[in-house]
Amino acid sequence: MRKFAFSACFIAVAAVTGCTNNEPQDPKVTIDKNPYPSTYQAAGQVTTLIKGATVLTGTGERLENADVLLVDGKVSAVGQGIEDGSAVVIDGSGKWVTPGIIDVHSHLGAYPSPSVESHQDGNEMTNPVTAEVWVEHSIWPQDPGFEAARAGGITTLQILPGSGNLIGGRGVTLKNITSPTMQGMKFPEAPYGLKMACGENPKRVYGSRTDAPMTRMGNMAGYRMAFAEAAEYKRAWDKYERDYDAGLNPEAPERNIQLDTLKGVLDGEIKIHNHCYKAEEMAMMVDLSKEFGYHAGTFHHAIEAYKIGDLLADNKVCAAMWPDWWGFKMEAYDMILENVAVVDSFKNSCAVVHSDSDTTIQRLNQEAAKVMYRANENGFDIDEAHAITWITLNAAKSLGVDDKVGSLEAGKQGDVVVWNQNPFSVYAKAEQVFIDGAKVFDLNDDSYQAKSDFLLGQK
Amino acid sequence: MNSLKTIKKSLLTIAVLGAFNVAAETVAITNTTIYTGTDQGVMTDANVVIDGGKIVAINPASLEVDRTVDGSGRVLTAGFIASLNQLGLVEVGAVSTSRDARAKKGGITFDASLAFNPESTLVPFARKGGITHSVVSPRGGDGIFSGTSFNVDLSGDFDSVVSTESAVIAGFGAASKDSRASSLQSLKDKLKGQKDKLDKAAKKDDDKKAKEPSAEEKLLTALLNGEKPLIASASRATDILNLLAIKKEFGLNLVLAWSYDAVKVKTQIADAGVPVILNGMHNLPGNFDSLSASLETAGELEKAGIKVILANTDSHLIYNLRLDAGNAVSYGMSAQGALQAVTSNVAEVFGIEGGVVAKGQPANLVLWSGDPFEISSSALNVWIDGEEQDLTTRQDKLRDRYTSKEDKRRGYIK
Repeated sequence: MRKFAFSACFIAVAAVTGCTNNEPQDPKVTIDKNPYPSTYQAAGQVTTLIKGATVLTGTGERLENADVLLVDGKVSAVGQGIEDGSAVVIDGSGKWVTPGIIDVHSHLGAYPSPSVESHQDGNEMTNPVTAEVWVEHSIWPQDPGFEAARAGGITTLQILPGSGNLIGGRGVTLKNITSPTMQGMKFPEAPYGLKMACGENPKRVYGSRTDAPMTRMGNMAGYRMAFAEAAEYKRAWDKYERDYDAGLNPEAPERNIQLDTLKGVLDGEIKIHNHCYKAEEMAMMVDLSKEFGYHAGTFHHAIEAYKIGDLLADNKVCAAMWPDWWGFKMEAYDMILENVAVVDSFKNSCAVVHSDSDTTIQRLNQEAAKVMYRANENGFDIDEAHAITWITLNAAKSLGVDDKVGSLEAGKQGDVVVWNQNPFSVYAKAEQVFIDGAKVFDLNDDSYQAKSDFLLGQK
Repeated sequence: MNSLKTIKKSLLTIAVLGAFNVAAETVAITNTTIYTGTDQGVMTDANVVIDGGKIVAINPASLEVDRTVDGSGRVLTAGFIASLNQLGLVEVGAVSTSRDARAKKGGITFDASLAFNPESTLVPFARKGGITHSVVSPRGGDGIFSGTSFNVDLSGDFDSVVSTESAVIAGFGAASKDSRASSLQSLKDKLKGQKDKLDKAAKKDDDKKAKEPSAEEKLLTALLNGEKPLIASASRATDILNLLAIKKEFGLNLVLAWSYDAVKVKTQIADAGVPVILNGMHNLPGNFDSLSASLETAGELEKAGIKVILANTDSHLIYNLRLDAGNAVSYGMSAQGALQAVTSNVAEVFGIEGGVVAKGQPANLVLWSGDPFEISSSALNVWIDGEEQDLTTRQDKLRDRYTSKEDKRRGYIK
């Protein structure tokens, strides 16, 4: 990792020259924090009224025989007896309505189908710390997995780099629409994520090359050195800002793309998404975040989260989990089927069900259902209205977009799924999917079933 | 939690009886709904009697049994049979010393059954999902053959291996370091070579001079005689057609596996009477061999008259087989077809006794709390050869430890 240069002004002060109020100021150096901005625009928004459905709001409520009205791409009203003469009406009787499903952990587009050599774009395993890479620069929007996920009700998803590195790079949150560009899918104003990884993967990748890290203690050293350097970088920039604002003419610190991202974490602008399975490691990652003054964000996979549910809740960190994956590594050996439910049982908890899979992302509703039913067989009392939060509002919180999506509340973005029946059934299917009030999928209407360029024209 | 305790208690009773008496105990599952898996379809309000490891009666005139299990509101099926996984051959995927499914060279004679570990924690986890048997297969190897599969029950006992060499496992199609043509040619060459040897031997008058065939020759002969199924993984339609042609030429008992392009040539597959093994949840084009992968494949093949087997290859998660079946129903399979795809079809192809609920069949049974394919349901009782199974897992122990209200350090809660 390269050291940044101390500002010339800092050195000059020691020599008692320059940096006075009298010196004219050079133009202020600012860093564009959004150089690849979203160009996403909803297309085909229609005022839509879903009538007489069972509605899971995503806030823990279940409304029977209820209506949902979408106007100008937003949720306009949720409740009973809603009328709108201009709306396209969907008969919701016998159907269930939920917020659009959100997956906080996907590699679609970065590890797309077909998963051929040319498409392995998710892990920049050339250095254990690659905070400078942004997974959005790897995304192939024609991955047929996006269409398959949309058919399963996925409206928002975070694409993350892989877990080969200690700090793998930035993740990006997308709206699940078709677009020839990544920017066209990019969720406007969603914060960036930063992928970190504990445990076996980074130490295996680098240890097998006799590089650091080779051990778990090497992992911890790697994060600490990276954040120590980022703290210095941040201090230098903060000082530059302060001095400039005080009318001085300081020299800006040398730009460092890697440290920009870590500084973003320290500034609270970028959310941590930390692949971390084991209780003892998650506890240390919480301490690490305190050592450097950032928030630990979300632990992904979090197989052993149930062992430290209180600690996670006390520190207000989210845990994103599978219902049942286990045994593929030692750190995944202690899975329990009730993991999500245990984490969820603590006050201030944030339990999320995620996929990390191009297959189960298509059935995140069933993944949540597995947890609910197995937990209820073993002393829990969880209903659908609550369990849906694991794949809607809690997921939105994890991504920092809970002010925009994740629940059916007036003013939120019109991301909605109409299910043909209770979505916690194996037989449930997403019948209609809306993103920002525009229909993007219809099970019974081929004209609303997109096909990726890759599959078009294939026999 | 109470129901769990009750189950544990009843298991304790069985265990005590078991010391001297299990084989003699007769059990009736009463007033239940049976998904027979046979032409009988669904039977309601039925009584099923188990004795000596067999189903001895369905709806007898009178019930004279040692014990009854109330099956009302529940569904009884044959135990589900998983296939083509590495159950008992792997404990932790990334721990090399816990992996035994792959021989360095592989080859047709590799029999991994000697490595089967009935005490693996994967076994009770799968059993709790209503799996009573599995066809375990080797994987990898240098040539086209990875070895032979073997059949196990999921009792966890040391005598779990029911039979060995239940099928020959071979791989075709997309290859990263060779042409797909090579593997097809290799199969033809092997079969042709063995056929020539047999023809030659048949022409010789003097039997006494015939050499004892090698293990490989025996297996190839069994393939040529159609005695043993050849499980051929091949996805692209051209590979499937080539394999069908080889089947015809040599009279093989061919079974296709992971054939995601099968819908394109379903008529030919049906005409050849070839079963197809699928991961029903695979619907994305992993490479150019599976561009037509779809959730509807299983249903479409069933409608074409093809015998379909649903398999879940993730050895740690084969308990999800019932949900794979449910999803297959959701996407077009019949409920009966999906049931057979995880019971009788597997039994028939791999030569496992049972797979249906019928008089005289082995008592490999699962009593479900409801629709076996539904997420809300679970297996309440599982019998293997008439013996009721423990349904607690290591995962249950971990859950109980960490959700215990006991005021103790967790390490002491066991």
